[in-house]
Order: sequence, then C-alpha cells, then structure tokens
Amino acid sequence: MLSYILFIATIGGIYGLLALSLNLIWGGVGMVNLGLAGFFAVGAYASALLTTVGHGPIAAGWLIALVAGGVAGLVVTLSTTRLREDYLAIVTLGFAETVRLVASNEIWLTRGTDGISGIPGPWKRALGPDFNAVYFLIVVLALLVVFFVMRRIDRSPYGRALRAIREDAQVAQVAGKPVLRFKTEAFVLSAAIAGLAGALYGHFTSYIAPDMFLPLITVYIFLAVASGGTGRPAGALVGAYLVMTLLESSRFFVEWIPGVTAVQRAALKELLIAVALIVVLRLKPSGVLPERVPPAPRPS
Amino acid sequence: MTNIRIGRRAALAAGVAALASPAVVRAQADPIKLATLTPLTGAGGPYGPVMAKAAASVVEEVNKAGGVLGRRIVLVSEDDQTNPEAAVRAARKLIDVDKVAAIMGTWASSVTTAVAPLCWESKTFLCTVSGADSITLLPHQGFLIRTQPNSKLQVTRVGEFILSLGAKKAFTMIPQTPFTQSTFDILNQVLPKGGCAHQSLIYDDKKTTYRTEVDQALRTSPDVILANGYTPDTVVLLKDLYRAGFKGKILGFAYSINQKLVDQVGQPEVVEGVYNFAPASAEGSSAFEKAKAASGSANPDPYTCQVYDHINLVLMAIASAKAATGEAIKENIRKATMSGGKVVDNAVDGLKEIAAGGKVDYAGASGPCDFDEKGDILDCKFRYEQIKAGKFTLVKIA
Repeated sequence: MLSYILFIATIGGIYGLLALSLNLIWGGVGMVNLGLAGFFAVGAYASALLTTVGHGPIAAGWLIALVAGGVAGLVVTLSTTRLREDYLAIVTLGFAETVRLVASNEIWLTRGTDGISGIPGPWKRALGPDFNAVYFLIVVLALLVVFFVMRRIDRSPYGRALRAIREDAQVAQVAGKPVLRFKTEAFVLSAAIAGLAGALYGHFTSYIAPDMFLPLITVYIFLAVASGGTGRPAGALVGAYLVMTLLESSRFFVEWIPGVTAVQRAALKELLIAVALIVVLRLKPSGVLPERVPPAPRPS
Repeated sequence: MTNIRIGRRAALAAGVAALASPAVVRAQADPIKLATLTPLTGAGGPYGPVMAKAAASVVEEVNKAGGVLGRRIVLVSEDDQTNPEAAVRAARKLIDVDKVAAIMGTWASSVTTAVAPLCWESKTFLCTVSGADSITLLPHQGFLIRTQPNSKLQVTRVGEFILSLGAKKAFTMIPQTPFTQSTFDILNQVLPKGGCAHQSLIYDDKKTTYRTEVDQALRTSPDVILANGYTPDTVVLLKDLYRAGFKGKILGFAYSINQKLVDQVGQPEVVEGVYNFAPASAEGSSAFEKAKAASGSANPDPYTCQVYDHINLVLMAIASAKAATGEAIKENIRKATMSGGKVVDNAVDGLKEIAAGGKVDYAGASGPCDFDEKGDILDCKFRYEQIKAGKFTLVKIA
C-alpha cells in the first residue's frame, strides 16, 4: 500500500509541476496553452534519448529537458505572436499533435510507436524497493523549488505586469510594458517546467511512448488548475493533487458498489470523477484556493 | 514579503493526506488474488469488457469447485483505458494494493510495454494479447507470456496467402504502428521468393481522404493491395480504392475488416470480395465451447479466447507450484501446458488432475498454448474469410 501511495504521490507531483507550468501561462498571462502535453513530451524524449542512446547522466537529462522544453516554447511563442485566445489554443493544440506525430514517425530517433523502454532511474538498482520513496523526494524537491519560484513571481512586480497583460494587453502596452517580451519569457519558463515534468515522468516509469502524450493529459491539467484556483500557484498544486486523488480514489469507491459489471464500474468511475469536479466548481467557482491579488505597494 | 501562511501549508498537507484516504485496509490473508487489466474504455473498448467477463466466469467456476489449494480466488478487474499512462497507475494499484500474483489481458502494445517493467520488477506475472514483436524481447526474466502470435508469424502467413492468390505485384498501405517496419521487412522477404514484387507506403491514419495515397499505389498497377490499418481509416481507404476503380484483390486484418467496417462503408459493392485474416481461435475445440459459455457470446473474439486461456493456465500453474506468487507461476506455467500429461480444456478438470498428482496438458480456446523461452506461442492457426454479398464467408483455416 505504501509504495502505491508513494507512486501516486509522485505522479501527482509531476501533475503538480504541469499545473504550475499551466498556471503561469494561463492563470498568469491568460494565454491558453492546449499544447502542454507537447512540451511534456519534448522534455520526456529529450531526457530519455540523452540517457539511453547518449548514455548521459540522468541529471544532464533533466537539464536538457528544461532547455528543450524552453526552446520549444520559444519557437511556439515567436511563431504565434499575432495570435490570441482561441487561435493560440488551436495552434498550441496543433503543436502537441505534431510532436506526437513526429515521435510516432521518426523511428530512427524516437523508436516510433514502440516507444523508448529501459530509461534509467537514479540509483535504481542500488535502491531496489526504496526507489519509489527516493524518487518521490526528488519530485517533491523539484516541485517545491518550482512552487517557490512561481510564488515569488506571482507576488513580484513582474507578476503584476503579467496580470496586467492578462487583463488587457493594450493597456499594459500603453503603460510602457514590453508585452511581447513578458509573454515570451513566461511561455518559455512555463514550457521549460513542462519539459522537466516530462523528464521526471520518463525516468520514473522507465518507459515512454507517443500514446502517453495524448491531449487527455492537458485536459487533466486544465481541470486541476481550474478546480484548484486559476492564477494562484498553491491553487494549481492543490488542484493537481485533487485531480490525482479523484482519479485514483474512485477506483476504490466503485469496488464497493455491488452488482455491477466491470464495464459499468469503469463507466461509474469516470462518472464519479466528472461529478466530483462539477461539485467542486459549483461550490467554488474560482477554485479551491481562489486568486488573491495583493494591492500594489503605495508610493511613499 | 515571503511569509508563509499556515493556511496554505495546511491546504497543501490536506491535499497530500487526501491521497492516503483510499487506504482501505482489507483482509489480505487467505484468498488468492489475480487481476485482469483490459481496455474497458478507449479504443480497445469493444474487446475488454468481454475479456474481463470470460476471466470472471472461469474464476467463479473454480471457486464453486472449491478454489485452488483450498483457497478462494479473488479476481480484481481494472480498466487500462487503452492508454499507457492510465494503465501504469492501474497496474501499480493492482501490484501494490491488491498484491495480485498475475495480471492478465493487456491489449494495446504500448500498454503492455508500459506495464511490463512494473510486473517483472515486482515479480508479478503478466499475460498479454498484444502483438508487437518488441514485447517478448524486453528483459522480462520470464515473467511474461503472450498468446497472440507475434507479427513475424502473422505477416509471414499473410505473405504466403498473398502468393496463394496468384499475386504478381502487391502493394501494402499501412499507418505508423509498432509493426509497420517489420511488416515491410518480412513481406519484402517472403513475396519476392514467390515471384511477387512488393511496394508499400505509410499513411496518416487520421486523414479523411486517401486519394493521393491511392493514386500513388495504383501507379504501380498492383493486383493485390494489403490494407493494413484500423477500422476507421480502412473504411475511407476502401471507398477511395473503389472510386479509383481498383479491380484487384484487397485484403486486411480481421481487427479492422470486420462487420463494423461493412456497416460503416454502407455500400456492399465497395467491400465485395475483400479478404480478411486473423489468428484463428481453436474453433470447434471443447475449450472454445467453454470459452463461449464463459464469455456469454456465441462467437467470442480471439482476445476473449486468449484471456480464457490466461486464467486457466495461471490457476493450474498455481496449483502445480502449490504457491500463489508471480515467481511460482513463472516457474510452473509451462508445466500446465507442455508436460505431455492428460489433455484438459479447463482449470476445474486440470486442478482435479493436479491435486490427484497427475500432469496436465492444457489445450486452449485460442490454440495449443505452447510457449518458447521468450514467452511467444510456438504455433497458431489462421482463419481467412472473404466478403460475399455483404457477409463474411470462410475461405479456409490453416
């Protein structure tokens, strides 16, 4: 049981990183990034390839994942500077699908739909059954670092500028804020975090394949951020664990229901998750931990 | 500036603590726990539910007859959602919480490849119906068997069938899958030997029209086209081939060219004369009849037959080992089917024989179920059908 909880808490932590990444870009700047799964995949593949084909150290893999995610983010923002809202959402969704198609078809590089197996985990052999616990700590550490950076940004003048762009980019521009630079920086940082999450995922489960990076994961993270509280890092984090708790605990609830077949149970599980999320958003429309905008310091 | 408020900390802690809430402690003592991990939702949705049902009825029968080693069997069923990410979470729950000795019925190749490392690391036995060659090449230390013939065996038979149709120029149209490259390699070997030229292309299975692909194929004037996709894209492909006036023979796998495809195409003349083929279940065998009863279906698909075999084999392996662990199943699964003992077609009879000190040789619903050291089945029959007036008619089983 303990190793299961550790496993789920680790995956929850990785979802948490993705939620923090999305919260920065969606909650912070108001850019709808439906391509989260794509950046997640870029990071996962970059690190997996470096450590399996390139035999590089795992830490270098994580670093490369950060860089690769960031570079992908830079390319996407610079090619979509004129797009906003729905149009940006469509292009980013397209980006994620493109990443998945490249991963499926460029077999020489990614081993195609077979996926990459045997991705090393840090000290996996030496740790044996303790691997899950140690990896959990690594993920928590990464999560905490990213969380505090996000909170620092959230409360800083930089964060206020981002929020101003979210509310009205034109007004921010008039006030002298370099909107494009802010957007690009935030997007690159957000994509880099998603890339890191991908690398952490790959080294934990030891296997990645294009099928793992379907848009479903982006939907989960949107649910996490929406239910946790858009625009607040702690909200994103709580939301990620809330979604993971719902996904997993619903397994156990449906086992108690007598007289239903396996299929009905699977359907009930999905239903339960949906109902729970609707209830959360009905009772707390702006999320469990709604955004708080601290007043700007008054000039003294 | 960065003062931390207890409220946030508490909320964070509550989130983490909530994870522990499903930790319902259940009696782990006596029953033997096994699991099915089949696709109940997602692309495998049409197959998984029947598979889970077949395994559940076998367990019910065995429990009625007194269980295994005097212990009751509890079968846990989880949904892999035809998605490796979700499957890994489900498998972790089965391994760590339910502590099952074996997981049966993983369907999609990507799901099996994702779940397999968890299984061999935790010494849990895995039985799968996935076809990708790479699966049995994983370092699984014997903790994996599959009842689906690998793509090498399947494609070789397809090549031989194409030759038997008298083809001189064959063309393969296939989307990108784990067996795309191996399909090309094998056909490029098998077909030229029989005097048939072979060319091929890879298409994107999400497209809504394949006119350019069809033009490209017809430029080589093939007499046989192998349409090697899944149902949705093959529907479009067959229509475009018909529109382009292709008069040669078309064939494909039965998992895509099935009744659903005929219904979706909606024009009998488009599918008239199309061949399909599939690894044949041991139709007419007594185990097949039992699988019929267990699944409650008059015509159980090959995957259902295979899961029926998985559960029977695992139960008999546990009985011969006198222990219900993954390790014990791994050591004994071949004893249940390749021992040269009494031929049985279900676990209830087999368990009696084993309890009486005899040897059993299981003959399954999907075939003889004999495995090589990698976990692949040694032999399998194939079933070839042709669509005539909108109905599938048997060509041969060989």
